[in-house]
Amino acid sequence: MRTQRKYPLFWIVLLALIFTTTIFSSLLAPFEPNAMDMNQIYKAPNATHLLGTDQLGRDVLSRLLVGGKVTLFIAIISVVLSSIIGIIYGGISGYFGGAIDAVMMRILEAFLTIPSLVIVLALQAIMQGSVWRMAMIMGVTGWFVTARIVRSEFIRLKELEFVQMAKMFRTPLWKILFGHLLRNCIPAIFVVTIFNFAGAIFTEVSLSFLGIGVPPATPSWGTMLYTAQNDLLVGAWWMGLFPGLFIFVTILCVQVIGGTFKQGGRSHI
Amino acid sequence: MEVLSNKGGDHIFKIENVAVHLNGKYLIHDVSFTVPKGQITAVIGESGSGKSTTLSALLGMLPAQAVMEGSILFNERNLMELSEQERAGLRKKHFFTIFQDATNSFSPTLKIKQQLYRLTASRLGQKEEAFLGKITAILKDLNLPEDVLNRYPFELSGGMLQRCMLACAFYNEPDVLMADEPTSALDMLHQQEFIKLLKNLHARLGATIILITHDLGVAAIADSMIVMKNGEIVEAGQVAEIFKEPKHPYTKRLVANHF
Amino acid sequence: MIAKWLGKRVIMGTIVLIIVSFLSFFMMHAAPGNPATAYYGGNAQTLTTGEKERIEQAFGLDKPVLFQYGTWLGEALQGNLGYSAKEGRPVSTILLERLPNTLQLIVLTLFLVTITSIWLGLQAGMKEGSLLDRGLSIFSIASSAIPPFWLGILFIMVFSITLGWLPSSGMNDVRGDGGLVDRLYHMVLPLTVLVISHVGIFARFLQDSVKVENHSYYVQVARANGVSEREIRSMILRNAVIPYINYVGVTIPSFFGGSIVVETLFSWSGLGQLLVKSVMVKDFPVLMGAILIIGVVVVICLFIIDVLMICLNPRLRRGGFV
Repeated sequence: MRTQRKYPLFWIVLLALIFTTTIFSSLLAPFEPNAMDMNQIYKAPNATHLLGTDQLGRDVLSRLLVGGKVTLFIAIISVVLSSIIGIIYGGISGYFGGAIDAVMMRILEAFLTIPSLVIVLALQAIMQGSVWRMAMIMGVTGWFVTARIVRSEFIRLKELEFVQMAKMFRTPLWKILFGHLLRNCIPAIFVVTIFNFAGAIFTEVSLSFLGIGVPPATPSWGTMLYTAQNDLLVGAWWMGLFPGLFIFVTILCVQVIGGTFKQGGRSHI
Repeated sequence: MEVLSNKGGDHIFKIENVAVHLNGKYLIHDVSFTVPKGQITAVIGESGSGKSTTLSALLGMLPAQAVMEGSILFNERNLMELSEQERAGLRKKHFFTIFQDATNSFSPTLKIKQQLYRLTASRLGQKEEAFLGKITAILKDLNLPEDVLNRYPFELSGGMLQRCMLACAFYNEPDVLMADEPTSALDMLHQQEFIKLLKNLHARLGATIILITHDLGVAAIADSMIVMKNGEIVEAGQVAEIFKEPKHPYTKRLVANHF
Repeated sequence: MIAKWLGKRVIMGTIVLIIVSFLSFFMMHAAPGNPATAYYGGNAQTLTTGEKERIEQAFGLDKPVLFQYGTWLGEALQGNLGYSAKEGRPVSTILLERLPNTLQLIVLTLFLVTITSIWLGLQAGMKEGSLLDRGLSIFSIASSAIPPFWLGILFIMVFSITLGWLPSSGMNDVRGDGGLVDRLYHMVLPLTVLVISHVGIFARFLQDSVKVENHSYYVQVARANGVSEREIRSMILRNAVIPYINYVGVTIPSFFGGSIVVETLFSWSGLGQLLVKSVMVKDFPVLMGAILIIGVVVVICLFIIDVLMICLNPRLRRGGFV
C-alpha cells in the first residue's frame, strides 16, 4: 500500500508569503521600524500596533518584517556558501576515493563530532561584526552534511555505465564532474540544502538570541528575542511570543517541504 | 504407519469456494479442496499461482486490506467466524509453519536458544529446563551440533537454520504442519536431506502436512496434490494418479518437464 | 575483531581532539590584536611598548606559532590551561566548577529523552495508522521547528511570571540550603525545554525503525507460529534499538549545542553559559579551555555509545561482517 504523497502546496505558498513580505517589508511595514515613540512604550497589541510596541515605542510588527530580511539574508548567503564548499569537498572525496577519501572523511567525521554551535561561537569571538561576516562564518561551518551526501552520491554514480563510458572516451575531467556527476545528484543536494536552510535560520536566531550574532541594535528575529528576555519581566508577553512564532512557522514550512522532497526522491540522509 | 490407513472421509481442513481479493483484484478464486487428516497434501504451482495466498488464508493471516469470501473449516469450525485472538490461538496450539527463507526467519540479535524457546516451549507454557532437555535430543536427531543453541542466526547456514525450524516442528508435534517452499532456498544436497527429515517427521508424528512447492520432486512425497494456476485449482487428486495420468494441459507440461 | 574496531574508534577520538585543540589554539591567534590587547581590553592602546613586550613574553608570543601550540598542548595535557584573562583564576579551576552543572543537565536530559522516546516510539510504531502514530509524527516535525530558547521564553512567561510556580533562573535558591530538591526544582524548566526539543525526533526515529522491523520476515514467521505479541514486541525493540542508539550517538553533539542556549537563558552556570560569556568579553584562555573540554566530553560520550553498540549488536561482538 503506497499512499500518494501530496505536494506540500500549502507550505510552499506560506513560505513564499513569508519571503515576499520580508522582501517588501519596507513598503509593507505600517511604521518606520526604528521610529521611537515615547508615548507608546510597551503597548499591548491593539488596532494601531497589531503586535504591540517595544521598550522604545517601536512597532513590533514592522520590526519583525524588517528583521526577517536580516535573518533570511544570512541564511540564504550561508547556505549558498556551504553548498558550494560541501559539493567541492564531497565531490573530490567521492570521485578520487582511496587515501584522499579516507583522510578527508576522517577530518569530516571529526568536524561532525564538534557541536556546530561551538565552532560558530568560536569564530564569532574572533570576527564578530557585520551581517556578511556572520553569513560567511555560518557558511564555512555548515557544509559537513552536504559534503557527506555529495560524496556518497558521487561514489554511487561514478560506477554507473554512462560515467565509465565518458571516461573511456576521454571526456575532460571537469565535464565528467560537473556535466555527468553533479547534474545527477542535484535532487539529493536540493533536499540537503533545504534542511541546511532551516538549520541556518536556527543558528542565526540562536546566535543573535545569545547576543553574539548580528549587533543587537539591528532588528532580526533572534535579537528581538534577546531583548525580549528583559521585556518579559515588565509583562510584555507579545515581545516574546511573536518573533518566536515567526521563526517557528518559517522553519516548519522549510522542514515540511524538505521532508516531502526527501520521501519523494531517493536521497538518504 | 497406522495413520496412513486413515484414509477416507476424515478431513482436518475443508476449504469451500474461497476467494480473496485485494484492492479489487482477485488473488485466488473458486478454491475448494479438503485436507485429509494425517496425510501429506502438496499444493503445487508457480509463483503468483495463489498457493501462498491460500496458505495465508488457512493461517488467518491475510493482509489487513484483503477481503475473503467462502469458508474454511478446521475440524468443523469455521475460521471466518473466529476472532483475531482465537486465530492466533489456533496457530499456537494446532499449527506450525516453516517458511522459505530460513536465514531471515530468525531475529538477528537473539541466540537460537531463545528463539527456539519462543517458537516451541513458550507457546505451550513450558519452563526452560524442560525445553532444553527435549530440544537437545531433537537437535541431535536432526544432525545439528548442540552448540547451535548458543549461536546467532548469522553464524549458521541456511540449511542449518531450516533444520532448526524443523526441530521446532518435532518439538511442537502440531496437528497440521505447513511448509511454504521449505527447500527452494537450499542447495541440492540440503534439499534431499530436508525432504528425508520431513518424511521422517510425518512417519513419527503422524501429523497432517500441507506442503507448498513449485517442485514436483518435492511434491512426490505427498499423498494427494492440488495444482494451482492463476489463482485457481486446475487439478486435484492422488499424487500417484496425477503423475501417471495428468489431465489438465498445464499439469501435463509440468509432469513432462519433470521426468 | 572488537579490539581492532575499538582501536579505530580511539584513533578517531584522538584525531577529533587534535582538531579541536588546533581550532581553539589558532582561534586565539587569528583574533584581532593579541592576548595583551585581550587582557587589557579597550585600555590596550594606553600600554607602553615595554609593557607590551613584557606581556608578549609572558604569553610566549615571541616564539613561532607551532612552538607555542606545542607548549600549550603539553601544558594542557597536564591540566594547565592557563589563566582567565578577566578573572585571573586558573582556567582549569573555572572549568571544573562548571563541568558538573552541565553534565547534570545533559545526562538527565539524555536519560529522560531516551526513556520517553523509546516508549513513545514503540507504542506508536506497533500501532500503525493509530492516533498515537500520526500524532507523534506531527509532534516530531513541530518540535524540531521550535527554537529551544523560544520554548524556554514561553515557559518562563507562563510558569514563572504568570503562574509563579517555577524559578526562571539560577541553580539554587539564594536563601535555600542548596540541597538536591532545590537543585531539581530549578532544573525543571531548563530540563523540560531540552527534553521537549529533542524527544520528538528521537521518538520518530524509533517509531520508523519499529515499523520496519514489524514488517520484517522474522516477525511474520513468529506471528504465523503464534509467538505471543509480548515476545514479538521484545524482539522488535531489541533490533530497532540498534540504529536508534547509533542515531543518539550522531546527535550527542547537538545536545551540547542545545545546552549552550538553554543554560544562557536560564542562567544555569554550566560550560555553555561560560562559553557564551567568554565570547562576549573575549576571554580567550577560558574560551579555548571550554571548547577543549566540551570536545573531550563529546568524545567520551561517543566512546560510551560505541561500547553500548557492541553490547547490543552481536555482529560486532562475534565478528561476521561489520
